[in-house]
Amino acid sequence: MIIAGIDIGNASTETALARYVDGKPEFLASGIVNTTGMKGTRQNIHGVFASLKQALEKAGLAVENVDLIRINEAAPVIGDVAMETITETIITESTMIGHNPSTPGGLGIGVGVTVDIREVNSCDKGASVIVIIPKEVDFDASSQIINHAVKNGIFVNGAIVQRDDGVLINNRVDKKIPIVDEVSLIDKVPMNMRAAIEVAAPGAVVEQLSNPYGIATVFDLTSDETKQVVPVSRALIGNRSAVIIKTPAGDVKERKIPAGKIIIQGTNKKAEINVDDGAEKIMEAIRSVAPIEDIKGEAGTNAGGMLEKVRQVMSNLTEQLPSAIKIQDLLAVDTFVPQTVKGGMANEFSMENAVGIAAMVKADKLQMNMIAHELETELGVKVEVGGVEADMAIRGALTTPGSDKPLAIIDMGAGSTDAAIINKAGEIKSIHLAGAGNMVTLLIASELGYEDMGLAEDIKKYPLAKVESLFHIRHEDGTVQFFDKPLDPTAFARVVILTPNGMMPIPGNVSLERIRTIRRDAKTKVFVTNAIRSLERVSPTGNVRDIEFVTLVGGSALDFEIPQLVTDVLSKHSIVAGRANIRGIEGPRNAVATGLVLAYEEGV
Amino acid sequence: MAINEQMLKSIIEDVLKEMTGAAPAASAPSKVAAAAGSVKLTPIGDAKQGVASDEVIIAVAPAFAEYQHETIVGIPHDKVLKELIAGIEEEGLKARVIKVYRSSDVAVCAHTAAKLSGSGIGIGIQSKGTTVIHQKDLPQLSNLELFSQAPLIDLETFRAIGKNAAKYAKGESPAPVPVKNDQMARPAYQAKAALLHIKETEHVVEGKKPVEQQVSFV
Repeated sequence: MIIAGIDIGNASTETALARYVDGKPEFLASGIVNTTGMKGTRQNIHGVFASLKQALEKAGLAVENVDLIRINEAAPVIGDVAMETITETIITESTMIGHNPSTPGGLGIGVGVTVDIREVNSCDKGASVIVIIPKEVDFDASSQIINHAVKNGIFVNGAIVQRDDGVLINNRVDKKIPIVDEVSLIDKVPMNMRAAIEVAAPGAVVEQLSNPYGIATVFDLTSDETKQVVPVSRALIGNRSAVIIKTPAGDVKERKIPAGKIIIQGTNKKAEINVDDGAEKIMEAIRSVAPIEDIKGEAGTNAGGMLEKVRQVMSNLTEQLPSAIKIQDLLAVDTFVPQTVKGGMANEFSMENAVGIAAMVKADKLQMNMIAHELETELGVKVEVGGVEADMAIRGALTTPGSDKPLAIIDMGAGSTDAAIINKAGEIKSIHLAGAGNMVTLLIASELGYEDMGLAEDIKKYPLAKVESLFHIRHEDGTVQFFDKPLDPTAFARVVILTPNGMMPIPGNVSLERIRTIRRDAKTKVFVTNAIRSLERVSPTGNVRDIEFVTLVGGSALDFEIPQLVTDVLSKHSIVAGRANIRGIEGPRNAVATGLVLAYEEGV
Repeated sequence: MAINEQMLKSIIEDVLKEMTGAAPAASAPSKVAAAAGSVKLTPIGDAKQGVASDEVIIAVAPAFAEYQHETIVGIPHDKVLKELIAGIEEEGLKARVIKVYRSSDVAVCAHTAAKLSGSGIGIGIQSKGTTVIHQKDLPQLSNLELFSQAPLIDLETFRAIGKNAAKYAKGESPAPVPVKNDQMARPAYQAKAALLHIKETEHVVEGKKPVEQQVSFV
C-alpha cells in the first residue's frame, strides 16, 4: 500500500511518499514546491499536484499507484503583519538643523547672527555673523565675499550653505569657520537670529551642541530655558555637524502619536493596553490574560484599523463573517522606522519608534475538507484530512536520529511559530503562535526604509559581503574571497547579498554592519521571543527549564543563522536544542508530511 | 516625431557654419574666451602613473577646450571642468586632468584615466559632453557609470559625476547619478553629435601618449 503525506504550509507544499509493508512504512521519495495561493484555499490544489508529481517521479511511480493521500488538518491559523509608528519629531519655527551632510566644511564652533551672504558687507564692523549661502551664490563667489568681509573687520563665524559646497568653501577661505551644507530648504532659515554652528573632525561627533549646558553656554540661557533645549541637544547626538538657531518660540518635540488601545479578551480575564506603551507592555498583557479568546482594537483608532484589516483578510479567505474570526495570538515587536522630521529644513530623518504586530487567526476550519474532496474527484485516489499540524510535525521530528520521547519541537514557518511536546506516554500538546518569517521580513524592510519586500526577504535569507575591489569581496565575518575574473561593475564598492543566483547589490549607502545588526535583531525579536513563549505554553509545568530536548523544524529552521540564535538562547535555559534531521536525510523539512504518513498506522 | 523642415534647416546651417568656419574659427574661440572666463589647459609633459590614492583623473578628449569650447548644448567647457573638479574636491580628493590624443572614444579616455589614476578611478569626457566614470580593472567597454546622452547633462549632473567618482575612489557605495533619458534627444541631436564627434576625431594623434594638463581658470 502506497501512502502520500502532503503538507500545505504558508510558504511550501511538501510531500512524503511511503510504501507500507507489513504495517511498517518504507519511505520512497519527497517533493517540495512553493505553495500556490494562500494556505487553506482552493488555489493550493495546483501546488499539491506539483509536489505529489515531483515525489512520484523521483520514485518512478504514477498517480494510479497511490492508494491514499493524507493532507494536513492545517491547524487553521493564518498570520498577518502590520506596523504602526508611535512617535514623531516636530521642529517648530526652524530652531535647528540636525541633518548630517556627509561632507561639512571647516571645524569648530561658531556663534553669530544669521545674515544673507549678499548683505554681509552692510553689517557693522566688529559684528559676529553666520552667513547664509543660497544656491545662487557659487562657492568661488561666496568664499571671496567671506574673505572680503573678514578683511573689513566683520567676524564671519560660520556658514549655512544650500548646495553641497562645504569643503569647497572651506578650501578657499582664509579664516577657518564651521560650515554646514546641503540645507535644502534654506529659505526657511530665519534671518537676524542668533545661531550656533558646530562641525566636528572627521570620525568625531559634535560635543558642545549635543550637550544642553553647552547650548546654554552659547546662548546664555537660564536654567528654565536650558530645560527646554534638552530635546534639541538630544536630537543632535551622534551628528558630525549641527546648527541651532535661537528663535523666540522655536522648539523641538518628540510627540507620541495616539495609536489607540488593544483589548485582549481572555477566557477568564480581560486586559486593555495602549499600543504606544510599546511591545513589552503589550506582550506582558497577553501573557497575563492567556488563554486568549479574541483580541480587538479600539474602534476608530490606528490599532483598531490594523487588527480589523487582519480580520477582514481572514474573513475573505475563509468565507466566514468577520465577527466569527477570532484573533488568538499576537506578537508585538518594538522597532524603528525612518521618518522625515516635520518642520525640518534639510529633509532630516529621524528614527521613530514603531510597533510591529503579527496577528494569528483561528478560523473555524479552513477549507481543507473541500480541498480533500476536490483532490479526490480529480485524482481518483482516496484523500483524507490527517491530524493537526503540530502533532504530525512531532511524529516527523521523532525520525531525527538521536531523538526520543519526551521531545519538544518548534516549527518555525513563514506565517506562524508552532510548538508541540510529546511525553513518554505519547501524549501530545501543541500551540500555534503569531509571528514568524514574514514578520522578520517586515521588520527588516521597515527599519531600512525599503518599500521592496523582495529585497528585505533576500536580506533575511542570505549572508552579506562587501565588494572591496573588482577582484575580491569581504564576507560578513571578515574573510576575503578572491575572483579570477572581474566582478560585475554594478556590484563595485557595494554591499551585496550572496544569493545562490549570484551577487545582488543593495541600493543606498547603508553599511554592511548596520544591515547585519538589523537582520539579526529582527530574527532575535521574532524567533527567539517566540521560541521561549511557545515552549512556556506547552511545558507541562509552564516553565521552559522542564523541557530537555527541543528540535527545530520548518522552513525558517533552514535559515543560516536562526537555528544558532535559538539554540544559543535555549542553551542558557539548559535545553538541548538543534535543527531536526527528518528521516536522517531531509533536514528540518518534511516533518509534517512524514508525520502524516506515520500517523496512518496509529489511525489518527 | 518628425524632423521638421525648420530643424533640418538649423542643422544644415550649423553644419555650414562649421564647414566655412575655417576662416572665422580664429576669431570664434577668442570670443568664447572673453565671454565665459574660460579655462586654460597648459600641457606639462607626459601623464605619469599616479600613486596617491586620493586622486581622480579626468581625461578630456583631443579637442576639449582647445578646438571646441562648449558641449553639444552649449555648456562652456570651463564650467564643465570646474564642476567636475569641484565635485571631487568636495569629497576631499584631488583632481588631475590629462588629455588623451590617441582616440576620441569616451571609453578609451575614461579607461586611460582610470589606469593612470592612483585610486583606479577615472572620468572620461568628450568635447560634446558625453561622460563615463571608469575603474582600472574593468574591461575598457564596461564602466561604472555612463552618461551617454550628452544633450541632457547639465552642470549639476557634472558636479554629481565628480562627486560620485570621488566616492568610488573612497570605497563608498554612492547611488548612481540619475541618468536622464529623452527619446527626443537622439533624433534632435544625432546629426550634430556625429558632426562634433567627427571634428573631435580630426584631432586624434595616433600613438601619442596622454599629456598632463595644468588647469587654470582665467
